[in-house]
Amino acid sequence: MSNDMNIPDGIAVGLSTPKLENREKVTGRAEYIDDLSRPGMLYAAILGSPYPHARILSYDVSAALAAPGVVGVVTGKDVPDGRMGAFIKDEHALAKDKVRYVGEPVAAIAAETLAEARAAVNLIEVEYEELPAVLSPEEGLAKDAPILHEELESYIKVFDAGSTGNLCSRTELSEGDVDKAWADCAIVVEDEFVTEPQAHVSIEPCGALAEIDAQGRVTLWSANQSVFRVQANVCESLALPMSRLRSLTPRVGAGFGNKMEPHIQPLTVALAIKTGRPVKCILTREEDFEIVRARHPFKIRMKTGADANGKLIARECEVLLDCGAFADDSPGVLGYALLMSGGPYRIPNQRATGKLVYTNKLRFGAYRGFGNPQVTFAGEQQIDEIARRLGIQPIEMRRRNLLKQGDGWFVGPKIASNGLERCLDAVAAASGKPKASQDRIKRGRGLAITAHISGLLGTGAIVRMLEDGTISLNTGATDIGQGSDTVLAQICAETLKVPVDMVSVASPDTDGSPYNWGTTASRVTYTTGRAVAGAAREVVNQLFQHAAEMLEVPIEDLELREGGRVALRGSNEDLPFAAISGRAHWAKGGPIVGSHTLVFDEPTHDPKRAIALGLPFPQIGVFSFGATLVDVEVDQVTGQTRVAEAWSAIDVGRAINPRLVDVQTEGGFVQGMGFALYEAMVWDGARLANPSLLDYKIPTSADSPHIHSIIIEDPEPTGPFGAKGAGEISLNAIPAAIANAVNTVCPGLSHALPLTGERVLERIEESDNAA
Amino acid sequence: MSDKQVISLSINGVTGEVFAPSDSTLLDVLRDDLGLHAAKRGCNQGVCGACTVMIDGVPMRSCLTMAGACEDHEVKTLEGYIQDPLMNSLQEAMIASGGVQCGFCTSGVLITARNLIEEKPDAAAEEMRTALSGNLCRCTGYVRIVEAIAKAAKEVVV
Amino acid sequence: MSFVVVPTNIEDAVRFLADNPEARPLSGGASLVAMKNAGLIEASHFVSLARIEGLNGISVDEGGLRIGGMTRHRDIAASAHLTGDLAMIAQAAGQIANRVVRNMGTIGGAVGNADPAADYLPVLTCADADVEIYGADGPRRISIEHYLIDWYETALEPGEIVTAIHLPHPKEARSNYHKLARTPGDYATASVACAMDGKRVRVAVGACGPKPIRSAEAEAALEGQIADPAAIRIFADSLAALADPMDDVRGSSDYRLRLIPRMVTAAINEIRGAH
Repeated sequence: MSNDMNIPDGIAVGLSTPKLENREKVTGRAEYIDDLSRPGMLYAAILGSPYPHARILSYDVSAALAAPGVVGVVTGKDVPDGRMGAFIKDEHALAKDKVRYVGEPVAAIAAETLAEARAAVNLIEVEYEELPAVLSPEEGLAKDAPILHEELESYIKVFDAGSTGNLCSRTELSEGDVDKAWADCAIVVEDEFVTEPQAHVSIEPCGALAEIDAQGRVTLWSANQSVFRVQANVCESLALPMSRLRSLTPRVGAGFGNKMEPHIQPLTVALAIKTGRPVKCILTREEDFEIVRARHPFKIRMKTGADANGKLIARECEVLLDCGAFADDSPGVLGYALLMSGGPYRIPNQRATGKLVYTNKLRFGAYRGFGNPQVTFAGEQQIDEIARRLGIQPIEMRRRNLLKQGDGWFVGPKIASNGLERCLDAVAAASGKPKASQDRIKRGRGLAITAHISGLLGTGAIVRMLEDGTISLNTGATDIGQGSDTVLAQICAETLKVPVDMVSVASPDTDGSPYNWGTTASRVTYTTGRAVAGAAREVVNQLFQHAAEMLEVPIEDLELREGGRVALRGSNEDLPFAAISGRAHWAKGGPIVGSHTLVFDEPTHDPKRAIALGLPFPQIGVFSFGATLVDVEVDQVTGQTRVAEAWSAIDVGRAINPRLVDVQTEGGFVQGMGFALYEAMVWDGARLANPSLLDYKIPTSADSPHIHSIIIEDPEPTGPFGAKGAGEISLNAIPAAIANAVNTVCPGLSHALPLTGERVLERIEESDNAA
Repeated sequence: MSDKQVISLSINGVTGEVFAPSDSTLLDVLRDDLGLHAAKRGCNQGVCGACTVMIDGVPMRSCLTMAGACEDHEVKTLEGYIQDPLMNSLQEAMIASGGVQCGFCTSGVLITARNLIEEKPDAAAEEMRTALSGNLCRCTGYVRIVEAIAKAAKEVVV
Repeated sequence: MSFVVVPTNIEDAVRFLADNPEARPLSGGASLVAMKNAGLIEASHFVSLARIEGLNGISVDEGGLRIGGMTRHRDIAASAHLTGDLAMIAQAAGQIANRVVRNMGTIGGAVGNADPAADYLPVLTCADADVEIYGADGPRRISIEHYLIDWYETALEPGEIVTAIHLPHPKEARSNYHKLARTPGDYATASVACAMDGKRVRVAVGACGPKPIRSAEAEAALEGQIADPAAIRIFADSLAALADPMDDVRGSSDYRLRLIPRMVTAAINEIRGAH
């Protein structure tokens, strides 16, 4: 629900327009990657590595090639020595020379049927020389540890990563004088925290379909969060000029970071090139768990100090991240987690340092929140702990320390719009009195707050006016189901003052769409929305130019009239878009096309106030804010925790589509709740022990609570109609809020995620024994 | 691999034969042989619910159903509900509520939800949540799905 | 390559299974087809039991209740026959997986598969059920206690089918099934079936060893003392002492050992309070 009734709705912005593609989804007609096929298409199966770390000595594919239906096989020998990676280019299209985790694709087969491909894949013989494996960051940093990437120092890196040995990257940020500040603190808390890996579990498994044409140009459809990152990764790893690859997207069955960087697009393209035929590769759920990517396990040491009034004075955060076998987005996650480790508080003295270490596991990477949920889990518990010890209410403790508009974030970014305090007030007001505990079921209430950026990197939009005055919008932003097509159409429509159904949205296509870095970093509404508004304004300018000539009036006297007309201000005289567009197409000036591109270019780091080493994002974004309050029930017999009810308020600047913001809030809550309570990928030695939905559980409708979504609108000056992002802010604070609620029932802090029954029961027994 | 068999099936009121691999599940035949793509393969283990279809008027997992065991049974997929007033009101409610995000779970949700409304139109929200617990959605947090089912159910009761 | 055959009587089914050692009986498919999809089993044929008379439904005669092996979890959960000390069986059936899978899965399939965390095993153990098995030599009946042997090992011989579960007539008693699972529909981390009639309590613990834990000795010792917390504690601890749980993704062995006394105590107290 929208909390801000004072901002008037426009013709499109502010309306909860149902998503443009909903009807095809409710009739089963939406086409996802596995619904596509091409004439003569082959099916792929993947051979995964049986070892966590081994040298590949030889391949024998003769038996596989002779198997019924098999058309082609690709191994590491068939792909060029190209390496891809968002921050550090360390990854081949498939294993080459070495394998670095169990399940890593070693070879792939294309056959006439999927059954034939799967049957033949086991006929590929690979000879390995097993190497000792690194299964934790500590092992990776040990002296004489086996080295995963012998050529690490020669890899291309896009920032000062400090890579050496198994250290993939390190980041160090500081401001003020932390070491000196502890002496000024009346209270200091220091704790260690660990979090376990969470799987994305987009209900659609990853997949790709590639086809090569007679000229040798490849067309690639895939489940993705960026057709452009797909293009870049495939071309880097297969040493293809980018102009030789066209990347497209069908509907995407959600992505929470797992479909941003590559999964099996490169090897699918390699198979298509090898066989000369279209090849489709769809991962099984088990493969999707084993080889795509997951949320990083964190080890966190955090120390926070405050004066006797609860005013925060210093915070120190040290993290150790398991990178997995390839860098992927991990250096970004490390840097971002450190940047967010202070939370949305004024803390004059801060230091955050971290290391990212290669291990023989699947790559960890981007996952909704990008390192923020983990550090928030630690930081927000310490805020509560300080408040408890000083006898301050948790909400009051936060009020005394909130960052305000115009403050600088840790290291330097400036905060413009800031609805954080209103978020806090809103959840407090909406939640009312907590219900009483029963004997067996104890209830606790917890609060946590958070901030998140929306921004990053390049984006563009092209707005074309068609001959009849309707509009085609093309941004290259993949809608992964969250509704960005709809939101961008609303921004376009509002700028042109037309109803949203006059705007059609083009599907992303690297041939025809302007560059878009991707649907990630809570950025599409904010950055691409800005580009759309800019491009639509350019169309307005051209319309006005034409209209001024047609009506023979000065441009300054013209205005847009709702429904697609340019009017002479203060008169009944106007021109429909169709008339203007017709003139432009057929008589004068040429077709009306507006375009606008931008790259987010506000610096992250202010060298005058802070020191930053190994910062992966020199330019980052604007800030959204959120507050969440939860009521939990802890079963005193089993330790099992359930969330009974939740209130989340997020400041999104301006809700372009309030209902879609609500669903981000609700969906982010439940995903965060799974992470908080039971989701964890578990390794048995080097092998993932629970790569299935039978063994890895995600929240169901029956154990998810009712969530009260509250929208706060504190307009962002640079945002389109004041908007900023909603995608990740909804999740960040959830594990922290749940932990704080559990902590009111079980004394002490929650040092580990997930808060399984087992972990909570230990605390219940401890406190029973103490009593 | 070449072991195929003729399987006679009745799907969405149309009876016919497919020549499919003998170990095909109903989901395989629907998607790969018949081009009926509403049912989705999310896990192939019967957990996610995206493949849910009706068999003899009862919602079941097509991924856990052997196609060869479906002879003499009536299969109905989401595609078979184009003209169904109850399904249509459920679809409209889902469109309006925000219960559709990525859409991958949506077909299965609709099949399960329609059956629930038919069996128990006055189900309370908690009963709806229990009944829907075999249809996993990773996007919405379920709030708007439950809201949509309640809305469609109310129209039936009235 | 898993051809589906659909015999219409039990003799044909078991003969087919005897003649085709790589064939597997197919009941609801909820577990078996999932295993096939995961590549965990290979079968030359699936022998569907769907059209065999007499395998579906719950019947009552002088000897007690008979639940046909092809009876779906859904029907068991809703059965009016499962009352008193058998109510826990309906409760357990209603907590298996989810509504849609309960439309498919059968008690015969579940008992035949005998996953140690399956919901039926503790309630059937607590209810002193017998398992009816049909093989090439005809039918036989065996107590659930003797049917369950070890982790995933049962008294089923190759080619045999679980055709029914036999239960004594329900007693005027209370019974409850308590399941701890990470999420609704997950396999149990631990479960407790508890029935109380008069002064006697029967308890079986599931998912904490190769088969449900039940102790006639401990039950006898508790008889008449169910209001005594110390006696309940001794009883609950004695069941924990019999447990042999594994570490798995649902919880550690240690967690289960700590859970057993707590869950058993809670189950007894609840059932006592309900009287």
